[in-house]
Amino acid sequence: MKNNNENVIELKNISKIYAMGDIQVDALKEIDLVIEKGEFISIMGASGSGKSTLMNIIGCLDKATYGDYFLEGIEIREKNEDELSFIRNQKIGFIFQSFNLIARTSAQKNVELPMIYAKYTAKSRSERASLLLEKVGLGSRAGHMPNELSGGQKQRVAIARALANEPAIILADEPTGNLDSHSSLEIMQIFKELNAEGKTVIIVTHERDIAEHTKRIVTFKDGIIISDERR
Amino acid sequence: MLLIIENIKLAISSIRANKMRSFLTMLGIIIGISSVITIASLGQTSKDVISKEFEAFGKNRVVIYMPFSEAIKDSDYFKDEDIEKINSKFKQDIEYISPSIYAGSEVKVGRNTAKVDINGVAQGFENMVNSVDVIKGRFINETDVRSRKDAAVIDEKLALKLFGRGEAVGKTIRCDVDSNITDVKIIGVYRTKPSIFDALGSSDRTTMYMPYSVFSSQLSYIGAIDIKISEDKPAQQTGQKIADFLARSKNRDPGFYIIQSTAEEQGSIDNILNTLSLAIGAIAAISLLVGGIGIMNIMLVSVTERTREIGIRKSLGARRKDILLQFLTEAMIVSAIGGIIGTSLGLLLSSGISIFLKVKPVIDPATVIVSVVFSAVVGMFFGLYPANKAAKLDPIDALRYE
Repeated sequence: MKNNNENVIELKNISKIYAMGDIQVDALKEIDLVIEKGEFISIMGASGSGKSTLMNIIGCLDKATYGDYFLEGIEIREKNEDELSFIRNQKIGFIFQSFNLIARTSAQKNVELPMIYAKYTAKSRSERASLLLEKVGLGSRAGHMPNELSGGQKQRVAIARALANEPAIILADEPTGNLDSHSSLEIMQIFKELNAEGKTVIIVTHERDIAEHTKRIVTFKDGIIISDERR
Repeated sequence: MLLIIENIKLAISSIRANKMRSFLTMLGIIIGISSVITIASLGQTSKDVISKEFEAFGKNRVVIYMPFSEAIKDSDYFKDEDIEKINSKFKQDIEYISPSIYAGSEVKVGRNTAKVDINGVAQGFENMVNSVDVIKGRFINETDVRSRKDAAVIDEKLALKLFGRGEAVGKTIRCDVDSNITDVKIIGVYRTKPSIFDALGSSDRTTMYMPYSVFSSQLSYIGAIDIKISEDKPAQQTGQKIADFLARSKNRDPGFYIIQSTAEEQGSIDNILNTLSLAIGAIAAISLLVGGIGIMNIMLVSVTERTREIGIRKSLGARRKDILLQFLTEAMIVSAIGGIIGTSLGLLLSSGISIFLKVKPVIDPATVIVSVVFSAVVGMFFGLYPANKAAKLDPIDALRYE
């Protein structure tokens, strides 16, 4: 199967079937989706639409039951668990609704985490983490613990962490779900800037007004894509 | 390597985050290790002390006794000639021989009196035992024995009692020797080496050494012979050979006379001590096992508590073995810290007890190393299951965990 190097993500005929007791649930039904390098895209849908399942597959946390997935041309289907860990580490920058910073660990150390698993030296880790925190406007809060930061600040630390290993995609799952409207705007602004620098940003959300910030909206319902609007 | 350092840092910060819990977890290991160390070093110390006591009594010393039986004839008793016979026949095997003669007496100098135990010995006795140290004059020599000289070597405590600060050597004391009141000349003063038994209470009776030959009435009815076997010869077997030789010369069956050797006595006491140490050590080892189970329990709690953290780490690229190592390192550090504290406590305890008993503590470095390594192994063994549980978590489930 051919794939284009300009395509960061190629999903071909992806199906995901969960067995819940005797009943089979088709979370995704033969999805085809291509995301090109530098896109700013949101994946929309109500809960149960299959968007979270898709996010897990794109994020290499889960594998499709059927179909092929290429991430920067790499076929994911064949990879084992440790190889998937490596791909997550190198190619994907996760941002979660509940921030998922590690408690009792400073902002700086949280940002360093992906670089620890990528085996950076302590010095280069620390330098890069400072640089990234500066970039998201938290240079002065590097030593703060997560519980000393506001929601918006926590999410900015998470963004800095997601950028640590220069991933192919930024994958954000309801990134503004736990934030007030002011912080939400700030966070979306950062995503816009990152996209302007050429980063591929994928936002999974159920809020239309968040999705409106992006350049392409793919809407899911009952495991299939019902619309794909480019603006 | 990088990850090992990171894991150690992580483990320490996690231990510090739960100080009380970590301490209680360590406590099991601390109690286990410190009791193992205390018991091992006290066992070693007492063996050492006892072996020194035996050395003081005389290495390779053998005493041949009459059997405790009513069917003893006069001819069964050892005679002075028997000593001579052994001396010529076993010249190569023995370094010292003397009838074993003990008597009690009161000694008098002017108005001063004191009670003494008289020990009749031959020349060379001071070299056999390690406890007699002649500080003034000389010890009994061959001429004294042969000429039946009324000479005595006395304890420095007795010298002090009888003569104060004055010179004792050359003075004469009056005492009962072989049922005759005799004037005995002091030819030497000795000092006793300290012994653990000193602490058990001292008597004011001291031992006075005289040539065995002065007890002429006892020399036809000698009940025991005191021998030192050459140190390159096996004490027990050589002693047996001599006893059997004596039995044959008196038309008795081999094995008629009883022999007792320091080596044998020491061996049996060592055996008792070893068994005792092993038994108590085994009980202490059980407490170590219980400590290990405590570690496993807390690690399981820790893994559950940190399920979400494990999910985050996995989503950021941690592999199974990274998570496994993180939790294993934590378990090992908890038990190694416990092991180090326990070792220090054990050493402190055993040294304290030794000092209290006024003996030199013996610490075997092997015991210490084995204990610390063993505690880390306990941590590894009991940490493996929780760590593996953490490593196997599914990242999606772990991230969803509340």
